[in-house]
Amino acid sequence: MTTDTRSAVQDRRAEYAFHDDLIYLHEAKRGLTRATIEEISSIKGEPEWMLQYRLRAYDHFLKRPMPSWTDGLDRIDFDKIVYYRKPSEREEKSWDDVPDQIKATFERLGIPEAERKFLAGVGAQYDSEVVYHSVKEELSKLGVVFMGTDQALHEYPDIFRKYFGTVVPAEDNKFSALNGAVWSGGSFVYVPKGVEVPLPLQAYFRINGENTGQFERTLIVVDEGASVHYIEGCTAPIYATDSLHVAVVEVVALARSRVRYTTIQNWSNDVYNLVTKRAHAYEDSTVEWIDANTGSRKTVKYPSIYLRGRGATADIISVAVAGRGQHQDTGAKAIHLAPDTRSRIVSKSVSKDGGRASYRGQVKVSPGATGAVASVRCDALMLDDESRSDTYPYIDIQEDDTSLSHEATVGRISADQVFYLMSRGLTENEAQNLIVQGFLEVFTKELPMEYAIEFNRLVKLEMEGSLG
Amino acid sequence: MSVPSLALAFVSEEAARAASDLVGEPDWRLAQRLEAVERVRTLPAETNQLFTPYLDLRATRFGEVAVATTARPVTDGGTLPEGASLLVEVAGATSATRVLGPDAIAGGVIVDDLAGVVRSGAAWVVDAIRDGATLPVEDPFAQVAAAVSTLDLVVAVPAGVRLEQPIVIRWRAGAPGTGSVGRTFLVLGEGASARVLEEQLPDAATDSGPQRLWWGTTEVSLAAHASLELAGLQDFDQDTVAVVNRDARLDEGARLQWALASLGGVLHRSRIDNRLLGRGSSVHQVEIGFGSGAQLFDLTSYTRHIGEDTTGDLLSKGVFTDRSRGYIKGLIEIQRTALGTDSYLGEFGMLLTKRSRSVTIPSLEIDQPNVRRAAHSSSVGPIDEAQVFYLMSRGLDRETARKAIVLGFLEPVVARIPLPEVQERLRALLDAKWPRVESAIAA
Repeated sequence: MTTDTRSAVQDRRAEYAFHDDLIYLHEAKRGLTRATIEEISSIKGEPEWMLQYRLRAYDHFLKRPMPSWTDGLDRIDFDKIVYYRKPSEREEKSWDDVPDQIKATFERLGIPEAERKFLAGVGAQYDSEVVYHSVKEELSKLGVVFMGTDQALHEYPDIFRKYFGTVVPAEDNKFSALNGAVWSGGSFVYVPKGVEVPLPLQAYFRINGENTGQFERTLIVVDEGASVHYIEGCTAPIYATDSLHVAVVEVVALARSRVRYTTIQNWSNDVYNLVTKRAHAYEDSTVEWIDANTGSRKTVKYPSIYLRGRGATADIISVAVAGRGQHQDTGAKAIHLAPDTRSRIVSKSVSKDGGRASYRGQVKVSPGATGAVASVRCDALMLDDESRSDTYPYIDIQEDDTSLSHEATVGRISADQVFYLMSRGLTENEAQNLIVQGFLEVFTKELPMEYAIEFNRLVKLEMEGSLG
Repeated sequence: MSVPSLALAFVSEEAARAASDLVGEPDWRLAQRLEAVERVRTLPAETNQLFTPYLDLRATRFGEVAVATTARPVTDGGTLPEGASLLVEVAGATSATRVLGPDAIAGGVIVDDLAGVVRSGAAWVVDAIRDGATLPVEDPFAQVAAAVSTLDLVVAVPAGVRLEQPIVIRWRAGAPGTGSVGRTFLVLGEGASARVLEEQLPDAATDSGPQRLWWGTTEVSLAAHASLELAGLQDFDQDTVAVVNRDARLDEGARLQWALASLGGVLHRSRIDNRLLGRGSSVHQVEIGFGSGAQLFDLTSYTRHIGEDTTGDLLSKGVFTDRSRGYIKGLIEIQRTALGTDSYLGEFGMLLTKRSRSVTIPSLEIDQPNVRRAAHSSSVGPIDEAQVFYLMSRGLDRETARKAIVLGFLEPVVARIPLPEVQERLRALLDAKWPRVESAIAA
């Protein structure tokens, strides 16, 4: 690899790797007890039902054993984590009001710039609390709500209580229970009947403090005939010790609505990223998860869609890049519960430098879900002998007129392709880069252009020096 | 979710010692039995967490079955079927007989119980069995066989011997309310080749009654460049629980073909372990299950690519009618040493009734990207209406067309059955499953 090609790639990772020495307005003691939960709920001034919900979730978290079907989770030391860090007094609507130090962080990450350019709304979360949310005025007038989840609990209590915890119950798994107990921040989105949000809403998540746990909770309700595209990105500085990101995302897509949820996950390599994302798709609605994971030490995440209404459609694109010391345990689930439902899952993974990429997925067609059509396609690229790639698909069909197909391949970059591109004047590294980008294009082509460029840049950086 | 152990009353130290009570059974075999008893006691029923959600033993009545504990020697007797080179027939828990044709005798083929093989001093056979650690230590079902098998049947073909006519090994389930546990070792010396037909058949007098149990293994050891074609046909009564472990180790250049058809049993639990150790070894596996009534076909297959340039071509197909179910679980492992692997795993289900169910889990674990191919595919669906339409346009009525398509789906296994009359019998058995389909459609 020549210095030319190296300098051709601008390494922006260093720009994300800084951290702020911030004095928090409030910081919970390390470790998790009932008192921590009562403290969080009290600081937030929550209604009694939410405190009870948190405590119930906490009890379940204690009872539930650590999942052992994926490895490495036993390394998480729950007692070392700080479960709540409050950086600012309140959620601001104007960028100018955000505390300077936090503002500087997001400025460096390019958030307000992005907002000006092409977004319908922006939210930013710093450790435990949302520090900023804004939505374009014309959308507010149409009744579109985009705010921090905590704020929504106070301002929209009815719709909040109607849907909160209905898609992902606290008892769903150990980590949804943990999130239920200590959740803080996240986005709340409500799109009223028939309203189409033309530009994406974006949320930005940042872990700053060492050993911080970020437990955001996102709830998106899209009413009948409405549509929205929600994008989230995440970064964290690198500490030598572990941070924990345990989010729960609930999406309710009511009849004839369209929801697209895009994630570009680029946590630093000391973050355990254990996320439960699930959508309920009602009659003739369409839900799309577009999910990319390049960061974190370990990600466990299988965006799921429960097709509950006749004619609903699920589309999941899952992309993972696993480098040194990383395990991306990602995938997708499509659960067909109603007639004439369709699902498509496309998974692409790249593993390199000893990284491990695992696809874990499920397609289930329940009794009564007649006429279901489902397809799964998993492709994996392994760039060297030290890396590992796994595919674990579960296909459970209980209706006789289902049409399901599943295909998977694993391989390495073909020498012929590299040779061809080199014969056209590319260096070996450029050739490999191009092939990997082409391999992941099914994902990038679904992104807004600015994101696609940024994602390709990330991949390019991941690819640097990966060639022997 | 923790999985309980099998906790089988008939697997005990006492039972292991009783089963071991044949003159000449070596000490290492008894030691192996006692270790296996301990494993059965302590291991969860499914140790692979990938597959724990799809373990279903609710149909079993292990406690109500009288499992035979008396060791069975192999004796001479029986009539050689037309076209076979030798026959071993095991009837329930009572007797095991053998009859060898002229080719088998001329080739020096060994057919005996393990104790007899040890007495006869055929060290190459004993070594292959003893050193091979032939059954997976983490699978308690396999360890039940290791613990309390009352017949360790050995068929060994010496180096360089090529048997053209098939070896027939016929197991019959016992009377209702009884069970038996046995093992079969197939050992082929360097460059040897053979074809084996394994039949698992119901008791001759088929009055149904309390549950019966048939528990067995096929443990294959292929020396360099040996070649084995094995066809299996399981046609037990629907009151039988059948547990089968098949395990193969292949040295350099060895070739193995499995063609396995399962039709009977209330629960047919099968696990195949292929270990491709030697450079250039290859396994081709075709497995079919045809379920009706409340049958459950639980078919697991592990293929481990360890040596260089190995080939695995694995195909499992299930057709399910009535309330029957198929759990088809597979794992291909390509280890770091396995450069140049060509591996394919296909799992296909066809559902003919609303209440049938197909689960497929075709998994891959890959540590070596320098492969010729590493892929799997799976599909589940009804009978293809376009194919039905095509056949109807050629003059077939609808039911005949549907039946032809289903039988065509299963034909890859039928075609690999070595004896023509057994092939015909399998076709007839598959055909006989069909009326249930018709009645299910009518209902």
